Amino acid sequence: MLIFREPLEGIDRPKMPADVVIVGGGPAGMACALRLSQLVDQHNSQNPDSQLSKENIYVLEKAREIGQHCLSGALLDPRSMRELLPGFEKEAPLDAAVSKESVYFLTEKGKLKFPITPPPLRDHGNYVISLNRFVKWLGSKVEETGITIFTGFAGSELLFDGDRVTGVRTDDKGVDKQNQPKSNFEPGYDLQAKVVILAEGTRGSLTKQLVAKFDLAKDRNPQTYGQGVKELWEVPSGRIAPGEVIYTLGWPLTTKEYGGAWIYGGKDNIVSLGFVTGLDYPDPRLDPQRVLQDFKQHPLAAKLLEGAKMIRYGAKSLPYGGWWAIPPVAGNGWMILGDSAGFLNSQRLKGIHLAIKSGMLAAETAFEALRKDDSSAAMLGQFQSKVESSWIKDELWKVRNFHQGFEHGFWAGLFHTGVQQFTGGRGLHNRYPGTAGYQRMRKLAELPANGGNEAHLLGPAKGDGKLTFDKLTDLYHSGTKHEEDQPAHLVIQDTNLCNTRCVIEFGSPCQNFCPANVYEMVDDAGQPSGKRISLNPSNCVHCKTCDIQDPYQIITWVPPEGGGGPNYDGM
Amino acid sequence: MPEPILVIVEQREGKLNRVSWETLTAGQSLAAETGWTLEAAVAGSGVANFANEISAKKVSKVYAIESPKLEPYTPDAFSAGLQQFIESKRSKLVLMPHTYQVRDFVPKLATAMGRTVISDCVGYKKQGDKLVFTRQMFQGKLAADVGFACDAPWFVTFQNGAFRGDKVEDGASAAPVETVNVQIADGVVRNQPQEVFKEAKQAVDLTQAEIIVSVGRGIKEQKNIELAKQLAEALGGELAASRPICDSGWLPMDRQIGSSGQTVAPKLYLALGIRGAIQHIVGMKGARTIVAVNKDSEAPIFEIADYAVVGNLFEIVPPLIEEVKKAKAGS
Repeated sequence: MLIFREPLEGIDRPKMPADVVIVGGGPAGMACALRLSQLVDQHNSQNPDSQLSKENIYVLEKAREIGQHCLSGALLDPRSMRELLPGFEKEAPLDAAVSKESVYFLTEKGKLKFPITPPPLRDHGNYVISLNRFVKWLGSKVEETGITIFTGFAGSELLFDGDRVTGVRTDDKGVDKQNQPKSNFEPGYDLQAKVVILAEGTRGSLTKQLVAKFDLAKDRNPQTYGQGVKELWEVPSGRIAPGEVIYTLGWPLTTKEYGGAWIYGGKDNIVSLGFVTGLDYPDPRLDPQRVLQDFKQHPLAAKLLEGAKMIRYGAKSLPYGGWWAIPPVAGNGWMILGDSAGFLNSQRLKGIHLAIKSGMLAAETAFEALRKDDSSAAMLGQFQSKVESSWIKDELWKVRNFHQGFEHGFWAGLFHTGVQQFTGGRGLHNRYPGTAGYQRMRKLAELPANGGNEAHLLGPAKGDGKLTFDKLTDLYHSGTKHEEDQPAHLVIQDTNLCNTRCVIEFGSPCQNFCPANVYEMVDDAGQPSGKRISLNPSNCVHCKTCDIQDPYQIITWVPPEGGGGPNYDGM
Repeated sequence: MPEPILVIVEQREGKLNRVSWETLTAGQSLAAETGWTLEAAVAGSGVANFANEISAKKVSKVYAIESPKLEPYTPDAFSAGLQQFIESKRSKLVLMPHTYQVRDFVPKLATAMGRTVISDCVGYKKQGDKLVFTRQMFQGKLAADVGFACDAPWFVTFQNGAFRGDKVEDGASAAPVETVNVQIADGVVRNQPQEVFKEAKQAVDLTQAEIIVSVGRGIKEQKNIELAKQLAEALGGELAASRPICDSGWLPMDRQIGSSGQTVAPKLYLALGIRGAIQHIVGMKGARTIVAVNKDSEAPIFEIADYAVVGNLFEIVPPLIEEVKKAKAGS
């Protein structure tokens, strides 16, 4: 019997007043905290008589240490960092400036190099970074300001008073598998905040709560997502130059799936390599972790990785939907940043610079709110206008229809991209409609039993232990760890549906799209289908794919006990 | 008249709890800073010897709070007895160590008196004429100073290690000891204490086992674990499992081998129906001899096994048990 995590009832929770609570210590949250500190310092030096305090500005981070849940390619467009910390290049941990770039279209054995790199994929001036190390560094800058970062504490619920967000409840600690307090039980805190800033990353759980409560997705395109699966490799020297960037399209995906690979050369012979698969593929048997394993068998990758060693693994989801899918980003007591809002340029595959910029703009608004002691919707709504008059909108507006153009396959996508290129992003319509990715998943009965052209993408990867790996082996390299004795944090509304319908209609795609083997259908003679859903929650790498991609939308990802999760050192 | 600080010292089963010295140190330091007097008390039945021991320390008075109902310890009796005592002495500040026993009765005591407790403090500060006590929040990442807004008596408990017990000052001469008999009416004590026991920290120490029989998913059903148990018994070894087995509650978690369980290095490790994911292998690869039984000849466990048995464990294990028994009987 599966017992799911839910906040305990009837608990007297410690309450703590706060000025600003930022949920999530990634690039957006850290940039927000840093910018807020700069503004407060500036104000205090100019207004000796009306000092503002930073003592009650808090960042909640569910990872045990700063940056441990941060994963990205990553290439950093330095634009926003130069605004936040001019001259940051001198002290930030940057692996290498991009020195060489190429784009290939792959067939199973061959490759076709694009004669010129398409403008969106031109990366000169950008840096190869480890987002984990970069955020660690940003976090240390935040800690220097005196702002407190609560590592190991997750935001488990938003607190409301009518239509106002009044704070954040942190996770209950010391709750056992049956959802009962253990001897080390410590109730979550109610942080009663004037301003709550959500910077949780893609598909944030509090953001989801907020969007549902205020129907924020109304009149927007449904958000669409991709899943990035990444491995970090140590290769023999001379294989790839630091700063060398390779993108590929095509194989192993067919024209029915959206996605592509990246290979970035870092320093010390470390290569970041991964594959983003759009979470809008038709075949429920597709496994994105397998897609990466297939990709590595292409001569282009296999040659690079021969005799090399895989040192780390991870996965995350990213929002692809673009401008039309972004919900309102501010309201009464709240603001939403970065990937939680959907500030990501899917054409350039970049969101870190936008996350940082959104954090800075939100900080400006939060600062005004503190100064005037007003965090009403009208006040925080300034963040919305700031975004719309900033270069965030300029950049996203030009690609507002990019991903939707690919809804009818790869070739149609290229056509639309071409038209959009010449019409300032408009293409054939000002707003292309979008479809939520899970709705595009087809039932097994509508698909060829043998998988047809997609056969090589379906089912679990076997792995040869050298170049390719099965999922559990990959997962081991994510370093993920959780307190085992706690309720399942993957909250399934109705497990009956898993055991009776999904297993037959879709063949339980959770087993395939989860990059961490959390979901498993085990034999159970008591079920008519002979199968029953079972969870391995402590395998979870916090990518949120299940919350996004389950075809019935009955899975809600909530944070497990703070401190648990992957260990993305160097990712 | 100076206000009295009262430290309640904890005794249990004929022994003073050493943390009490820390609380006494805290009391002495508070008394020095505030100019208040410091008194100590110990509650129980026949506690004069504890009172005498404390009277050697720098305190102005020691009380032995006596009632036959105070032994053995019950929260009802302690709450009732201490309430009577504290009300009669008009103590301003009542200090206690943050022990399990105090945690058990002090909420009741304070609530009965309509007061509050500032619990688990790590220190105090005197801000002007106001006393505040420091508590840790967010697992020690933040410290909060908390003061009393209610009337005295004020209850405070101090965390283990917050003050130094070895720094407690001796008095110039022995302090007077007074025995106070408290009356606890019949019917007040509703608790009936049973024998005190300690939960075994770990029922089994797999790291010390020389022979381990470990089961994985191949065992299929909970009832089949009996088979592995019989083999373990025949071999004189311990029973262990891979994660799915413990996760299903078929065996307790302290028998789990692997990255989220124990790491073992026995002389013999028998893996029954364990595929050998890396998460399991890291917990047992140090075994001197590994024997693996698995249906699937490609199971990764065979890569590290010294003896690989490809086959159905339900066919292999029963005769194996018989053979082991025979061999043992013969030797």
